[in-house]
Amino acid sequence: MSDAVTLKFRSATEETPLARWVAIGIAVAGIAVLVFAPLLAVFAEALTRGVGAAIASLANRDAQSAIKLTLIIAAISVPLNAAFGIAAAWFITKFDFRGKAFLITLIDLPFSVSPVVAGLCIVLMFGTNSLVGGWLVASGYPIVFALPGIVLATMFVTFPFVARELIPVMIEQGRAEEEAALTLGASGWRTFRTVTLPNIRWALLYGVLLCNARAMGEFGAVAVVSGKIRGQTATMPITIEMLYNEYLSVAAFSLAALLTLLALVTLLLKTALELRHADQLAATHRA
Amino acid sequence: MHIEIDEISKQFGTTAALHPVSLSLPSGALVALLGPSGSGKTTLLRILGGLEFPTSGRVLFDGQDATGLSVQERRAGFVFQSYALFRHMTVFDNIAYGLNARPRASRPTKAEIARRVTKLLDLIQLPDIGARYPSQLSGGQRQRVALARALAIEPRMMLLDEPFGALDAKVRKELRQGLRDIHDTTGLTSVFVTHDQEEAMELADLVVVMSMGRIEQIGKPQDIRARPATAFVRDFISA
Amino acid sequence: MPGLGLSMGITLTMLSLVVLLPIGALLLKGATYGLPGIWETVNRERVWAALFLSFRLSLFAAVFNLVFGVLLAWVLVRYRFPGRRILDAAVDLPFALPTAVAGIALTALYAPNGAFGALAAGVGWKIAYTQYGIFLALVFVGLPFVTRTVQPVIEEIEREVEEASATLGATRLHTLRHVILPMLMPAALTGFALSLARAVGEYGSVIFIAGNIPLVTEIAPLLIVIQLEEFNYDAAAAIGIAMLLISFAMLLVINLIQVWSRRRIGYV
Repeated sequence: MSDAVTLKFRSATEETPLARWVAIGIAVAGIAVLVFAPLLAVFAEALTRGVGAAIASLANRDAQSAIKLTLIIAAISVPLNAAFGIAAAWFITKFDFRGKAFLITLIDLPFSVSPVVAGLCIVLMFGTNSLVGGWLVASGYPIVFALPGIVLATMFVTFPFVARELIPVMIEQGRAEEEAALTLGASGWRTFRTVTLPNIRWALLYGVLLCNARAMGEFGAVAVVSGKIRGQTATMPITIEMLYNEYLSVAAFSLAALLTLLALVTLLLKTALELRHADQLAATHRA
Repeated sequence: MHIEIDEISKQFGTTAALHPVSLSLPSGALVALLGPSGSGKTTLLRILGGLEFPTSGRVLFDGQDATGLSVQERRAGFVFQSYALFRHMTVFDNIAYGLNARPRASRPTKAEIARRVTKLLDLIQLPDIGARYPSQLSGGQRQRVALARALAIEPRMMLLDEPFGALDAKVRKELRQGLRDIHDTTGLTSVFVTHDQEEAMELADLVVVMSMGRIEQIGKPQDIRARPATAFVRDFISA
Repeated sequence: MPGLGLSMGITLTMLSLVVLLPIGALLLKGATYGLPGIWETVNRERVWAALFLSFRLSLFAAVFNLVFGVLLAWVLVRYRFPGRRILDAAVDLPFALPTAVAGIALTALYAPNGAFGALAAGVGWKIAYTQYGIFLALVFVGLPFVTRTVQPVIEEIEREVEEASATLGATRLHTLRHVILPMLMPAALTGFALSLARAVGEYGSVIFIAGNIPLVTEIAPLLIVIQLEEFNYDAAAAIGIAMLLISFAMLLVINLIQVWSRRRIGYV
């Protein structure tokens, strides 16, 4: 048998080397142009006038207030959505009731609604010329064009993230462990803290990560409800838009670079979770 | 077709799945490759089918060197342990697959394909299931469909990997005779892999007992039973 | 099991407050406005142009993502090459990157003075501030959907099925087309629909690169924002309801695809 024959042999489940390398080439080129190039562009544009200028633009008062506002919004909406996600996952996976599939569809609904429409809904519900909104404004608690509206809009668009990660994991883990703890005399809370939580912590972290990334970056829904008041209701993405439209490119891209770093850290942690704790994540995320 | 295995060996990385083995399979025989898991029997079958390439040695079909032939060129009717039916195709389309996959010049007409598929469905005694999907069949029915699909390409030989492995004991016994009948009808040289000595002894004309990548004994079932060549064979067939 | 009241209470209260009541407010607004009223608002050249533009470009982008996404998923699952992990992680970037950031980054790249824009301008091709730019932004935001739905399906294909096809005489190309592709189709179509739904509603990444010229490069979500900025709530609600209906229709299609594939092939 000659070596030429060995080289010629190709497993029945493989493409020719040429086809393989062409496919890899297209994939790499596509991702390079579509994903890596914009990523580099953000940093390149931010640094056109040097690191000093970029950092100085972040120290600007408006930028500082935008960063603070975005952190506040994430700090409120992410824990609330996490709490919802845990409650919803517990309700859906530990009890049997009719209409479960419908409930899950409702929880997923925000994923298929345009962020702008989401913002519009909140404006129509709580805006000054609505019944509820008018009363709230009269009582001194405006929702729209104020922090609560932005939080609501953010929660709307990130609503399904945590629940979606937890439900499949908790279905897979079943109810036996909790039932065992309960028969041993543990209280409901104790069972949740000592049995359920350790089992779902990585999936919870995974959902919170994605939720947080989206919460800090949300633009469309927030643009509609915030009123874009500089220094008051302008989040980081909104401020980026304002700076960009004022041709303050370095300032806009410096703020954008900050959010990009957040996105990269999110991806890094997400990949690490998929590698380390794959067995405790929803099946679709197992590497 | 006469199959000759000439000093075939196979290495996976540093472990040897097959030490050089030689074997001559007479035309029209029903041969069992018998051994425990890890004995190299499936590897040998896959080398015959062209799914695996030997590290050394040659395979000869009717005296012609077939070692370099691709899977497609071998025209071996291969039945997989899991049957590997195409789930998105009906039974009819599964059986017709090999004929439809031929280049246009050698592809039979639609009517001819339909005629052959119907004939094969009769052969496996399931004439009415052409329109069903594999998920709607029982395990035994799936096995016979896999057999018909392999026969459709007018193979030069049949290669079967644990053809009864996925079935429960009762169905297994029933289908043994079915395989024997189909073999006798077609007259094709057939090789099947099994770890069940009773199955091998009952069904095969020739039994090849393998262990740890080596052939322990080749012989007719009654000869192997009467005169086990090694301690391993004696233990294995009495188990 | 304890916690029924608490978990049900939190779930239903928050779901109602954050999602259902606001959507209800939109639908209520539409109801008081009446179908004829909605139709009158929507049935204007500028609105039709925006809806049509959003839908058409979203469709093109989703088709591109369908083809590229399946190829990418195949490459990531089946081939081993240096940098594969990085490539895999990069697929999720469009999910993680804020849309406004993506929008200005793409604009910087494809504007006539940008790195790619200048190249295109060299051959007389304008990308940013045209429909090509919108297409590009929609491709970006929809990129991960098909790949992420198809990847697990490829991982689960039994090698024996491919081998069976080869032993029956099929060439590799025939196997890919007639055995593998049909198996991937349900998942790929789900990803396609998700990518389409996302693109139709997309706002942040598009408005910077779109140019926003009425009748030419003005997308439907932008029209809502414009109406709201003019405090024209009725018109905004009418367009919003039209978009909501499109979203619901697509949600329905996704579910139908899954039911269909489960019936036909026994898995999703």
